[in-house]
Amino acid sequence: MRIIFKIAIVILFSFNAIARENGETEITTEDGIEVFQDEKYYLLKKNVKISSDNFNLNAKDVKIYFDTSLYDITELNAKGDVNFNSLKFRLSSRSQKLKFEVKIEKLRVDGEKSQLITEDIEMYSDGFIEVNNLNGDFKLEGPNSILSNDSIFIKSEKIHGKFSNNEDKKEIILLNIVDERESYIKNNNTEMYAKKINFDNKTSIIELIDDVIIIRNSEKISGDYGTLDTKNNSYKIKSNNDTKVKVVIQNNE
Amino acid sequence: MLGISVALTFIVIIFSKQISIKNINLSVIQNNLSNIDISEPKFAISNDSKKIHITAKEGNFLNNDKILLNKKVKFKSNDFSIETDKVVFDRNKQTAESRSKSIFKSKNTTISSDGFNIYDNGKKIIFYGNSLIVLK
Repeated sequence: MRIIFKIAIVILFSFNAIARENGETEITTEDGIEVFQDEKYYLLKKNVKISSDNFNLNAKDVKIYFDTSLYDITELNAKGDVNFNSLKFRLSSRSQKLKFEVKIEKLRVDGEKSQLITEDIEMYSDGFIEVNNLNGDFKLEGPNSILSNDSIFIKSEKIHGKFSNNEDKKEIILLNIVDERESYIKNNNTEMYAKKINFDNKTSIIELIDDVIIIRNSEKISGDYGTLDTKNNSYKIKSNNDTKVKVVIQNNE
Repeated sequence: MLGISVALTFIVIIFSKQISIKNINLSVIQNNLSNIDISEPKFAISNDSKKIHITAKEGNFLNNDKILLNKKVKFKSNDFSIETDKVVFDRNKQTAESRSKSIFKSKNTTISSDGFNIYDNGKKIIFYGNSLIVLK
Protein backbone atom coordinates (compact mmCIF):
# COMPACT_ATOMS: atom_id res chain seq x y z
CA MET A 1 0.00 0.00 0.00
CA ARG A 2 2.84 2.39 0.89
CA ILE A 3 4.60 1.64 -2.38
CA ILE A 4 1.45 2.45 -4.38
CA PHE A 5 1.07 5.69 -2.39
CA LYS A 6 4.70 6.66 -3.13
CA ILE A 7 4.35 5.85 -6.82
CA ALA A 8 1.16 7.95 -6.95
CA ILE A 9 3.00 10.90 -5.36
CA VAL A 10 5.92 10.58 -7.80
CA ILE A 11 3.53 10.46 -10.80
CA LEU A 12 1.56 13.43 -9.45
CA PHE A 13 4.69 15.53 -8.99
CA SER A 14 6.14 14.59 -12.37
CA PHE A 15 2.88 15.63 -14.08
CA ASN A 16 2.91 18.93 -12.22
CA ALA A 17 6.49 19.53 -13.35
CA ILE A 18 5.49 19.10 -17.02
CA ALA A 19 2.11 20.86 -16.89
CA ARG A 20 1.76 24.42 -18.19
CA GLU A 21 1.03 27.01 -15.52
CA ASN A 22 -1.84 29.50 -15.71
CA GLY A 23 -0.97 32.52 -17.83
CA GLU A 24 1.86 30.73 -19.60
CA THR A 25 2.05 29.94 -23.30
CA GLU A 26 3.92 26.75 -24.15
CA ILE A 27 5.22 26.11 -27.67
CA THR A 28 6.93 22.94 -28.89
CA THR A 29 8.59 22.33 -32.27
CA GLU A 30 10.38 19.34 -33.80
CA ASP A 31 12.80 21.21 -36.04
CA GLY A 32 13.79 24.25 -34.09
CA ILE A 33 13.19 27.98 -34.05
CA GLU A 34 14.72 30.86 -36.01
CA VAL A 35 14.69 34.24 -34.25
CA PHE A 36 15.06 37.40 -36.36
CA GLN A 37 15.60 40.13 -33.80
CA ASP A 38 15.65 43.18 -36.10
CA GLU A 39 12.67 42.02 -38.16
CA LYS A 40 10.89 41.12 -34.89
CA TYR A 41 9.59 37.69 -35.73
CA TYR A 42 10.45 34.04 -35.12
CA LEU A 43 9.84 30.93 -37.18
CA LEU A 44 8.71 27.71 -35.54
CA LYS A 45 9.38 24.69 -37.71
CA LYS A 46 7.76 21.26 -38.08
CA ASN A 47 4.86 19.92 -36.01
CA VAL A 48 4.32 23.08 -33.98
CA LYS A 49 2.03 22.93 -30.96
CA ILE A 50 0.97 26.06 -29.09
CA SER A 51 -0.93 25.82 -25.85
CA SER A 52 -2.17 28.85 -23.89
CA ASP A 53 -5.05 29.97 -21.66
CA ASN A 54 -6.83 31.54 -24.63
CA PHE A 55 -6.18 29.07 -27.43
CA ASN A 56 -4.50 25.90 -28.67
CA LEU A 57 -2.98 25.65 -32.14
CA ASN A 58 -1.32 22.86 -34.14
CA ALA A 59 0.37 23.41 -37.51
CA LYS A 60 3.35 22.36 -39.62
CA ASP A 61 5.06 25.77 -39.46
CA VAL A 62 4.30 29.00 -37.60
CA LYS A 63 5.66 32.53 -37.93
CA ILE A 64 5.16 34.77 -34.89
CA TYR A 65 5.65 38.55 -34.93
CA PHE A 66 6.44 40.25 -31.65
CA ASP A 67 6.57 43.83 -30.42
CA THR A 68 9.32 44.44 -27.86
CA SER A 69 10.24 40.92 -26.79
CA LEU A 70 9.45 37.36 -27.87
CA TYR A 71 6.55 37.01 -25.42
CA ASP A 72 4.85 40.15 -26.68
CA ILE A 73 3.06 38.48 -29.63
CA THR A 74 1.29 40.74 -32.12
CA GLU A 75 0.58 38.39 -35.01
CA LEU A 76 0.62 34.69 -35.64
CA ASN A 77 0.80 33.05 -39.09
CA ALA A 78 0.39 29.28 -39.28
CA LYS A 79 0.79 27.05 -42.36
CA GLY A 80 -0.05 23.42 -43.10
CA ASP A 81 -2.93 21.44 -41.55
CA VAL A 82 -3.76 24.18 -39.07
CA ASN A 83 -6.08 23.37 -36.17
CA PHE A 84 -7.12 26.25 -33.93
CA ASN A 85 -9.32 26.02 -30.84
CA SER A 86 -10.18 28.96 -28.63
CA LEU A 87 -12.12 28.80 -25.40
CA LYS A 88 -11.95 32.58 -25.07
CA PHE A 89 -13.47 33.25 -28.50
CA ARG A 90 -15.57 30.07 -28.34
CA LEU A 91 -14.56 28.94 -31.82
CA SER A 92 -12.54 26.33 -33.64
CA SER A 93 -11.09 26.23 -37.15
CA ARG A 94 -9.35 23.96 -39.62
CA SER A 95 -7.47 25.31 -42.64
CA GLN A 96 -4.28 25.27 -44.69
CA LYS A 97 -3.29 28.75 -43.45
CA LEU A 98 -4.24 30.85 -40.45
CA LYS A 99 -3.51 34.44 -39.54
CA PHE A 100 -4.36 35.78 -36.09
CA GLU A 101 -3.85 39.45 -35.28
CA VAL A 102 -3.77 39.41 -31.49
CA LYS A 103 -4.51 43.02 -30.55
CA ILE A 104 -7.46 43.53 -32.89
CA GLU A 105 -8.63 39.90 -32.40
CA LYS A 106 -8.89 39.30 -36.14
CA LEU A 107 -8.74 35.73 -37.36
CA ARG A 108 -8.38 34.67 -41.00
CA VAL A 109 -8.25 31.11 -42.32
CA ASP A 110 -7.21 30.38 -45.91
CA GLY A 111 -7.20 27.50 -48.37
CA GLU A 112 -9.34 24.66 -49.61
CA LYS A 113 -11.84 23.22 -47.17
CA SER A 114 -11.31 25.99 -44.63
CA GLN A 115 -13.81 25.95 -41.80
CA LEU A 116 -14.55 28.16 -38.82
CA ILE A 117 -17.11 26.97 -36.30
CA THR A 118 -18.50 29.00 -33.42
CA GLU A 119 -21.20 28.02 -30.93
CA ASP A 120 -23.91 29.52 -33.12
CA ILE A 121 -22.53 29.73 -36.67
CA GLU A 122 -20.67 27.47 -39.08
CA MET A 123 -18.57 28.89 -41.93
CA TYR A 124 -16.88 27.01 -44.77
CA SER A 125 -14.89 28.17 -47.81
CA ASP A 126 -12.30 27.08 -50.39
CA GLY A 127 -11.02 30.68 -50.40
CA PHE A 128 -10.83 32.43 -47.05
CA ILE A 129 -12.86 33.17 -43.93
CA GLU A 130 -12.15 36.24 -41.83
CA VAL A 131 -13.71 37.18 -38.50
CA ASN A 132 -13.03 40.26 -36.39
CA ASN A 133 -13.99 39.39 -32.85
CA LEU A 134 -13.91 43.00 -31.63
CA ASN A 135 -16.23 44.69 -34.13
CA GLY A 136 -18.08 41.59 -35.38
CA ASP A 137 -17.16 42.02 -39.07
CA PHE A 138 -16.83 38.83 -41.10
CA LYS A 139 -15.94 37.89 -44.68
CA LEU A 140 -16.07 34.68 -46.66
CA GLU A 141 -14.66 34.75 -50.19
CA GLY A 142 -13.96 32.07 -52.74
CA PRO A 143 -15.61 28.97 -54.15
CA ASN A 144 -17.99 26.99 -51.94
CA SER A 145 -18.30 29.73 -49.33
CA ILE A 146 -21.07 28.70 -46.97
CA LEU A 147 -22.45 30.29 -43.80
CA SER A 148 -25.17 28.63 -41.78
CA ASN A 149 -26.88 28.71 -38.40
CA ASP A 150 -30.17 27.40 -36.98
CA SER A 151 -32.36 29.57 -39.18
CA ILE A 152 -30.35 30.46 -42.29
CA PHE A 153 -28.15 28.77 -44.93
CA ILE A 154 -26.12 30.92 -47.38
CA LYS A 155 -23.95 29.86 -50.31
CA SER A 156 -22.14 32.43 -52.45
CA GLU A 157 -18.76 33.55 -53.85
CA LYS A 158 -18.64 36.54 -51.47
CA ILE A 159 -20.39 36.73 -48.12
CA HIS A 160 -19.64 39.86 -46.11
CA GLY A 161 -21.44 40.81 -42.93
CA LYS A 162 -21.47 41.70 -39.26
CA PHE A 163 -22.26 39.74 -36.12
CA SER A 164 -23.98 41.28 -33.11
CA ASN A 165 -21.86 42.04 -30.05
CA ASN A 166 -24.20 39.93 -27.96
CA GLU A 167 -21.90 37.81 -25.78
CA ASP A 168 -24.42 35.00 -25.34
CA LYS A 169 -25.38 34.47 -28.96
CA LYS A 170 -23.79 35.77 -32.17
CA GLU A 171 -26.55 36.90 -34.53
CA ILE A 172 -26.15 38.16 -38.09
CA ILE A 173 -27.14 41.83 -38.18
CA LEU A 174 -25.82 42.77 -41.65
CA LEU A 175 -25.24 40.81 -44.86
CA ASN A 176 -23.87 41.68 -48.31
CA ILE A 177 -23.71 38.68 -50.62
CA VAL A 178 -22.39 38.74 -54.19
CA ASP A 179 -21.89 36.00 -56.78
CA GLU A 180 -21.49 36.66 -60.51
CA ARG A 181 -23.33 33.40 -61.20
CA GLU A 182 -25.79 32.87 -58.33
CA SER A 183 -26.06 33.43 -54.59
CA TYR A 184 -28.35 31.18 -52.56
CA ILE A 185 -30.12 31.71 -49.24
CA LYS A 186 -32.48 29.39 -47.44
CA ASN A 187 -34.45 31.00 -44.62
CA ASN A 188 -37.01 28.85 -42.82
CA ASN A 189 -39.28 27.52 -45.60
CA THR A 190 -38.11 29.93 -48.31
CA GLU A 191 -35.29 29.44 -50.82
CA MET A 192 -33.89 32.49 -52.62
CA TYR A 193 -31.54 32.93 -55.56
CA ALA A 194 -30.02 36.20 -56.86
CA LYS A 195 -26.71 37.67 -57.98
CA LYS A 196 -26.70 40.11 -55.04
CA ILE A 197 -28.42 39.68 -51.70
CA ASN A 198 -28.45 42.19 -48.83
CA PHE A 199 -29.87 41.94 -45.33
CA ASP A 200 -30.18 44.54 -42.59
CA ASN A 201 -31.43 43.43 -39.19
CA LYS A 202 -32.79 46.96 -38.47
CA THR A 203 -35.31 46.70 -41.31
CA SER A 204 -35.61 42.87 -41.19
CA ILE A 205 -35.62 42.94 -45.01
CA ILE A 206 -33.71 40.57 -47.30
CA GLU A 207 -33.10 42.39 -50.60
CA LEU A 208 -32.56 40.32 -53.75
CA ILE A 209 -31.00 41.91 -56.86
CA ASP A 210 -30.66 40.48 -60.42
CA ASP A 211 -31.84 37.07 -61.63
CA VAL A 212 -34.07 36.67 -58.60
CA ILE A 213 -35.88 33.42 -57.82
CA ILE A 214 -37.94 32.79 -54.70
CA ILE A 215 -39.18 29.29 -53.98
CA ARG A 216 -41.66 28.58 -51.21
CA ASN A 217 -43.53 25.30 -50.93
CA SER A 218 -44.75 24.59 -54.47
CA GLU A 219 -44.51 28.22 -55.59
CA LYS A 220 -41.61 29.52 -57.68
CA ILE A 221 -41.42 33.22 -58.59
CA SER A 222 -38.70 34.82 -60.67
CA GLY A 223 -37.94 38.45 -61.50
CA ASP A 224 -35.23 41.12 -61.35
CA TYR A 225 -35.67 42.51 -57.85
CA GLY A 226 -37.25 41.09 -54.73
CA THR A 227 -37.62 41.64 -51.01
CA LEU A 228 -38.49 39.31 -48.18
CA ASP A 229 -39.61 40.63 -44.82
CA THR A 230 -38.26 38.22 -42.22
CA LYS A 231 -40.70 39.54 -39.60
CA ASN A 232 -43.87 38.40 -41.33
CA ASN A 233 -42.20 36.13 -43.93
CA SER A 234 -43.90 37.97 -46.83
CA TYR A 235 -42.15 38.74 -50.09
CA LYS A 236 -42.44 40.93 -53.21
CA ILE A 237 -40.86 40.57 -56.63
CA LYS A 238 -40.51 43.21 -59.38
CA SER A 239 -39.23 43.01 -62.93
CA ASN A 240 -37.58 45.49 -65.28
CA ASN A 241 -39.70 47.07 -67.98
CA ASP A 242 -38.74 44.60 -70.69
CA THR A 243 -39.34 41.48 -68.64
CA LYS A 244 -42.15 40.09 -66.60
CA VAL A 245 -42.49 38.42 -63.22
CA LYS A 246 -42.92 34.72 -63.78
CA VAL A 247 -44.86 32.57 -61.33
CA VAL A 248 -44.80 28.81 -61.50
CA ILE A 249 -47.15 26.93 -59.19
CA GLN A 250 -46.33 23.28 -59.02
CA ASN A 251 -48.84 20.65 -58.14
CA ASN A 252 -47.06 18.25 -55.83
CA GLU A 253 -49.99 15.85 -55.51
CA MET B 1 56.43 -29.14 -24.55
CA LEU B 2 59.16 -26.69 -25.41
CA GLY B 3 57.09 -25.49 -28.35
CA ILE B 4 54.07 -24.86 -26.11
CA SER B 5 56.12 -22.92 -23.56
CA VAL B 6 57.66 -20.78 -26.33
CA ALA B 7 54.21 -20.07 -27.76
CA LEU B 8 52.85 -19.15 -24.30
CA THR B 9 55.80 -16.82 -23.74
CA PHE B 10 55.09 -15.07 -27.03
CA ILE B 11 51.38 -14.71 -26.19
CA VAL B 12 52.26 -13.23 -22.78
CA ILE B 13 54.69 -10.79 -24.43
CA ILE B 14 52.11 -9.75 -27.07
CA PHE B 15 49.37 -9.18 -24.42
CA SER B 16 51.69 -7.26 -22.18
CA LYS B 17 52.63 -5.01 -25.15
CA GLN B 18 48.97 -4.41 -26.05
CA ILE B 19 48.09 -3.47 -22.53
CA SER B 20 50.99 -1.09 -22.36
CA ILE B 21 49.99 0.48 -25.73
CA LYS B 22 46.45 1.03 -24.39
CA ASN B 23 47.92 2.68 -21.32
CA ILE B 24 49.98 4.96 -23.51
CA ASN B 25 46.89 5.94 -25.60
CA LEU B 26 44.88 6.63 -22.48
CA SER B 27 47.57 8.83 -21.04
CA VAL B 28 47.78 10.78 -24.31
CA ILE B 29 43.98 11.42 -24.20
CA GLN B 30 44.19 12.51 -20.61
CA ASN B 31 47.01 14.88 -21.49
CA ASN B 32 44.90 16.34 -24.34
CA LEU B 33 41.93 16.93 -22.03
CA SER B 34 44.03 18.76 -19.59
CA ASN B 35 45.47 20.95 -22.35
CA ILE B 36 43.53 24.18 -22.25
CA ASP B 37 44.58 26.93 -24.62
CA ILE B 38 42.61 29.63 -22.84
CA SER B 39 41.37 29.57 -19.30
CA GLU B 40 38.12 31.48 -18.66
CA PRO B 41 38.02 33.02 -22.15
CA LYS B 42 35.95 36.14 -22.83
CA PHE B 43 34.76 37.30 -26.24
CA ALA B 44 32.02 39.49 -27.69
CA ILE B 45 29.79 39.61 -30.74
CA SER B 46 28.79 43.15 -31.69
CA ASN B 47 26.35 44.78 -34.04
CA ASP B 48 25.03 48.33 -34.39
CA SER B 49 22.35 47.86 -31.75
CA LYS B 50 23.81 45.44 -29.18
CA LYS B 51 26.77 43.57 -27.81
CA ILE B 52 26.71 39.91 -26.78
CA HIS B 53 29.35 38.96 -24.18
CA ILE B 54 30.61 35.37 -24.27
CA THR B 55 32.28 33.64 -21.32
CA ALA B 56 33.33 30.04 -20.62
CA LYS B 57 35.52 28.00 -18.27
CA GLU B 58 37.84 26.72 -21.01
CA GLY B 59 38.73 27.42 -24.60
CA ASN B 60 40.74 25.52 -27.23
CA PHE B 61 41.86 26.84 -30.60
CA LEU B 62 40.59 24.68 -33.45
CA ASN B 63 42.28 26.93 -36.04
CA ASN B 64 43.15 30.62 -36.39
CA ASP B 65 39.53 31.75 -36.16
CA LYS B 66 37.57 28.98 -34.50
CA ILE B 67 37.67 28.36 -30.77
CA LEU B 68 35.97 25.51 -28.97
CA LEU B 69 34.48 26.89 -25.77
CA ASN B 70 33.88 24.31 -23.04
CA LYS B 71 32.05 24.18 -19.74
CA LYS B 72 29.59 26.79 -18.47
CA VAL B 73 29.51 28.68 -21.75
CA LYS B 74 27.37 31.79 -21.36
CA PHE B 75 26.15 34.41 -23.85
CA LYS B 76 24.77 37.57 -22.33
CA SER B 77 23.35 40.75 -23.83
CA ASN B 78 20.99 43.40 -22.50
CA ASP B 79 18.05 41.39 -23.85
CA PHE B 80 18.91 37.76 -23.31
CA SER B 81 21.25 35.06 -22.07
CA ILE B 82 22.08 31.58 -23.40
CA GLU B 83 23.72 28.84 -21.37
CA THR B 84 25.25 25.62 -22.69
CA ASP B 85 28.33 23.39 -22.33
CA LYS B 86 30.04 23.41 -25.70
CA VAL B 87 30.22 26.10 -28.40
CA VAL B 88 32.36 26.71 -31.45
CA PHE B 89 32.99 30.45 -31.69
CA ASP B 90 34.29 31.96 -34.93
CA ARG B 91 36.14 35.19 -34.16
CA ASN B 92 36.35 36.23 -37.79
CA LYS B 93 32.73 35.59 -38.82
CA GLN B 94 31.39 36.57 -35.39
CA THR B 95 29.28 33.43 -35.22
CA ALA B 96 28.73 30.85 -32.50
CA GLU B 97 27.34 27.36 -32.94
CA SER B 98 26.45 24.70 -30.42
CA ARG B 99 25.02 21.20 -30.77
CA SER B 100 24.53 20.61 -27.07
CA LYS B 101 21.48 21.25 -24.90
CA SER B 102 20.97 25.00 -24.49
CA ILE B 103 18.74 27.30 -22.50
CA PHE B 104 17.85 30.77 -23.79
CA LYS B 105 16.33 33.25 -21.35
CA SER B 106 14.93 36.70 -21.94
CA LYS B 107 12.15 38.72 -20.33
CA ASN B 108 9.19 36.36 -19.76
CA THR B 109 10.67 33.88 -22.25
CA THR B 110 12.58 30.62 -21.95
CA ILE B 111 13.72 28.46 -24.89
CA SER B 112 15.16 24.98 -24.39
CA SER B 113 16.75 23.41 -27.49
CA ASP B 114 19.28 20.88 -28.81
CA GLY B 115 21.73 23.63 -29.74
CA PHE B 116 21.84 26.98 -31.51
CA ASN B 117 23.57 29.10 -34.10
CA ILE B 118 24.13 32.82 -33.61
CA TYR B 119 24.95 34.59 -36.88
CA ASP B 120 24.62 37.92 -38.70
CA ASN B 121 26.49 39.63 -35.85
CA GLY B 122 24.06 38.30 -33.30
CA LYS B 123 20.95 39.63 -35.04
CA LYS B 124 19.72 36.13 -35.91
CA ILE B 125 19.58 33.00 -33.79
CA ILE B 126 18.59 29.50 -34.87
CA PHE B 127 17.64 27.00 -32.19
CA TYR B 128 18.13 23.41 -33.33
CA GLY B 129 15.99 20.30 -32.93
CA ASN B 130 13.19 19.63 -30.51
CA SER B 131 12.57 22.98 -28.90
CA LEU B 132 10.32 24.22 -26.14
CA ILE B 133 9.33 27.85 -25.65
CA VAL B 134 7.62 29.01 -22.49
CA LEU B 135 6.16 32.53 -22.61
CA LYS B 136 4.81 34.16 -19.44
